[in-house]
Amino acid sequence: MSILSISSLSKNYGRIHAVDSLSMNIEEGNVFGLLGPNGSGKTTTLGMILGVILPDAGQFQWFDGRYGGNPRRRIGTLLETPNFYPYLGALNNLKITAHIKKAVNPDYNGLLELVKLRGRENDPFRTYSFGMKQRLAIAAALLDDPDVLIFDEPTNGLDPQGIAEVRETILQVAARGKTILMASHILDEVEKICSHVAIIKKGRLLASGEVTNILSNDQWIEVSAAETDKLKALLESIPDILSVSEKEDFWLLTTKPGFEPATLNRMAFQNGITLTHLTSRQKSLESKFLEITREDLS
Amino acid sequence: MLYLLQLEWLKQKQHKSFLLLASLFLFLLPSSLLIAKSIRTWPPPINTPQTFFQFPDVFMYLGYVGNWLCFFLLGFHAVSIVTQEFSNRTFRQNIIAGLTRADLFKSKVAYLFVVAFFATLYFGLVAFLFGITHTDAIYASVAFKNIDYIPRFFLMCLGYMSFGLLLGTWIRRTGTALFLYFSYVLFIELILRWGVHMNVFKHRSMHFYPMNAIEDLAPIPFAEFAKGFEKEMDFGFFLSPQEAMITTSVYIILFLAGTYLLMAKRDL
Repeated sequence: MSILSISSLSKNYGRIHAVDSLSMNIEEGNVFGLLGPNGSGKTTTLGMILGVILPDAGQFQWFDGRYGGNPRRRIGTLLETPNFYPYLGALNNLKITAHIKKAVNPDYNGLLELVKLRGRENDPFRTYSFGMKQRLAIAAALLDDPDVLIFDEPTNGLDPQGIAEVRETILQVAARGKTILMASHILDEVEKICSHVAIIKKGRLLASGEVTNILSNDQWIEVSAAETDKLKALLESIPDILSVSEKEDFWLLTTKPGFEPATLNRMAFQNGITLTHLTSRQKSLESKFLEITREDLS
Repeated sequence: MLYLLQLEWLKQKQHKSFLLLASLFLFLLPSSLLIAKSIRTWPPPINTPQTFFQFPDVFMYLGYVGNWLCFFLLGFHAVSIVTQEFSNRTFRQNIIAGLTRADLFKSKVAYLFVVAFFATLYFGLVAFLFGITHTDAIYASVAFKNIDYIPRFFLMCLGYMSFGLLLGTWIRRTGTALFLYFSYVLFIELILRWGVHMNVFKHRSMHFYPMNAIEDLAPIPFAEFAKGFEKEMDFGFFLSPQEAMITTSVYIILFLAGTYLLMAKRDL
């Protein structure tokens, strides 16, 4: 089942195209990463699909329209900063969220336990540290067992331990088969948590697909030999090799998917070239990301 | 609707600003009038402060005191319940959690109706209590003579609060919205009416401005100067109660419609 389909969604702020004709689709069970540098339109996109920002053009549909025009009660969301009533404690703030969601018998204690706010639940929200506020926002997002969870930069502003805890929580939720949409500018985070990724920049979709596909679409081969000129001529004659660039003491190749380093080794041997160095490696998401966003600049 | 009122109650019941304003209203409405007792002699035609507390005039005097309290306390409350939702970004959070924009609007309006209802109920209670304890011979015809002050008081509460709600929704920042609210009621409209309208038209239409219509629901009681005004111009100083009620109702509808449009059509 399609959880969310977005088509040609756009939002302008004056002359700035915050989101520019964005289309994508999220299926049930995806842990979907929305990856982009700061200011790329991630939060604006999330704001539009959550009804707080009105799109200038385009449509989106949640759950194939199963819950009508307002499906947000079935979605748990942490958008940007945690926003709660500063004069109320964690428990009363959760009660407000539960009331809005029309939650039946919400497990406040379990949630407070999970986000380690037991004992502070009656202190006003304004007295909490940022980490505590963020954890309360996660508890609010998990209220009433939503079908989909949306996290916008969930580890922003947290200390390393907090980051590890939040990631662990998200992975636990994902393991229960929940669909998760997570916006982040941290590649490592997306790579570790997500099954699918969409890369956006300046509000435009640059690439999307399974994380493993985006990773394995291209591979890099490093190769060197004593007979440099002969090797270069050979490399340029092989159609499966997409690009050849000279590094300090080796040639760096990008190849079509499925091209084996062994094939290259055999061809070199047949041409009387003795390879002194041959390794293959997959591009990391980081280099892919940098490559994609750089292409966009040119 | 009950669902939205319960939500609003969850938000307000522990809010210090709400508790303070409610206590101030409950305390000041009777006590402001009781202060008159400390002044022994009054100039004619009042002569004695007893008049303030007797049927049927108690509605008039208590209504005028309530007029100021509604303007200050209820208007303040209406501005701040909406601007605080913006500054805490909790409106945004409410929408994300599952409310619609129409729900946001309905919850605030329903809440203001309930506040107006209880304020009016309290006004009626205090007025009757004063009247019963201070009038020597109580006849129903006298006790209920000014009973129309009760619906007028209700409209007055709603009038100030719907104006506050509109300004709060439009400006979004508590300080600026409150400043504009108080300056409009206290100065801006007076300048528009007396400085501009009067000089251009010199016509009764100068009384149909929103805050003036609301004020005329419970106007200043011993307005001797009003007679002088009437002699000089061809028209009276006040709107008739019926005119004030109709005009205020129209403005309430306009203010609420404006609030709805602002809530529905702007990003949160």
